[in-house]
Amino acid sequence: MNQTPRALNRVVLAVCGLALMAAGALVVALAVFEPVARWWRSATAEAGNRLDQLLADTTLPGQPGSWVWLAAAGGLVVVLLLLLGWTVQQGSGRLGTVVVDYDGDGAPGIVSLGSEVAEQALKAALHERPNILHASVAAYEYRRVPGLRLRVLPRPGVAPQAVAADIMELVEALDQVVGFDPPVVLSIGAGARSRLVRADHRVH
Amino acid sequence: MTQLRDDTARDSLRAGLVRREMHSSRAPASLILAFLLAALCLYVLLEVLLEAIGQPPWLLDPRGFAAWLNQLPDNASPLVLGASGTLILLAGLVFFLQGVLPGRLHRHLLPSRRGIVVVDDEVIAAALARRARLAANVTREQVLVTVTRSTVEVQLRPTSGRPVSEVAIQAAVEDELARTGIEPVPLVTVRVSASGVVGQ
Repeated sequence: MNQTPRALNRVVLAVCGLALMAAGALVVALAVFEPVARWWRSATAEAGNRLDQLLADTTLPGQPGSWVWLAAAGGLVVVLLLLLGWTVQQGSGRLGTVVVDYDGDGAPGIVSLGSEVAEQALKAALHERPNILHASVAAYEYRRVPGLRLRVLPRPGVAPQAVAADIMELVEALDQVVGFDPPVVLSIGAGARSRLVRADHRVH
Repeated sequence: MTQLRDDTARDSLRAGLVRREMHSSRAPASLILAFLLAALCLYVLLEVLLEAIGQPPWLLDPRGFAAWLNQLPDNASPLVLGASGTLILLAGLVFFLQGVLPGRLHRHLLPSRRGIVVVDDEVIAAALARRARLAANVTREQVLVTVTRSTVEVQLRPTSGRPVSEVAIQAAVEDELARTGIEPVPLVTVRVSASGVVGQ
């Protein structure tokens, strides 16, 4: 429940994976098949000639080198910036404010609720439960809709539906207090902490 | 009309959230790929800039490298070439599969009045193991429960001299599974081993 660009991740991974596979297959083919090696020689020689021609054509009179190098440097900087943008998008979407009321039923002023309101209230309530070892609450934005994501590690052996019903009661109480019902995702899991308590199961 | 549109928007939001919770985001693989690509780009950028301002190259001379590429099958041993090619191919395959495979997480969706509830299979397995253990009156080391998307497998080693009813355990586990409300209900198989455990 965040703004990780999942479709972009998959497209870039698939395209780069294909490119790497093609490069690897070419290297293997070069090592194994003689005709491929012959083709590679002539093809790269031709490409090298063209490149030399290009470098010669783009060298401005009175300059030591071609401006293609500077253009390539600019292109690489753009690629680096794109890569940086892609990286910082992973796991983004964390919200500081869950709801803003500009109208306030005609009253002057603005009411805005920080995500801590929901986070602290739910966390405090969850930490009191003996069958819950750890709980974390965070507000995220998904498709421009603010929502809450809860991750709970119950004690092993506790029925998950009971934990879920318990927590959803808390969430409904919070809905009443805050006066709006954001989408809520509850993820019940088993972390390192619950595994240490005791282990009587295995999952494949 | 707006009500209807609100409902469809809500449903599609819900479907999207469920999809995100049940499938991997591929963020780790993306970060690794981004780091590798950025390192490569930085190095090439350095060499290109050195070339552009007419300085000697740092590690590889672009022209020399191009000439080396051109001479490729002869200036490297076929063994090294084949091995490195296979490694590149495998790395590419890993990234490609990360991009293409569905990446379904080991989780189940629970029905809920409010919100979306997903449970790791491990949690379900622990709950079922507890129920099977109580039904068979054995210790927790004697029960092993494996939960996958459509099956639940219970392996139980009874205590020597105390027979265990396979049918009763099957019924107990199926009851516990029905209580979670998972759809579709996974198929439960119970296997009680012939050899018992002594002194538990």
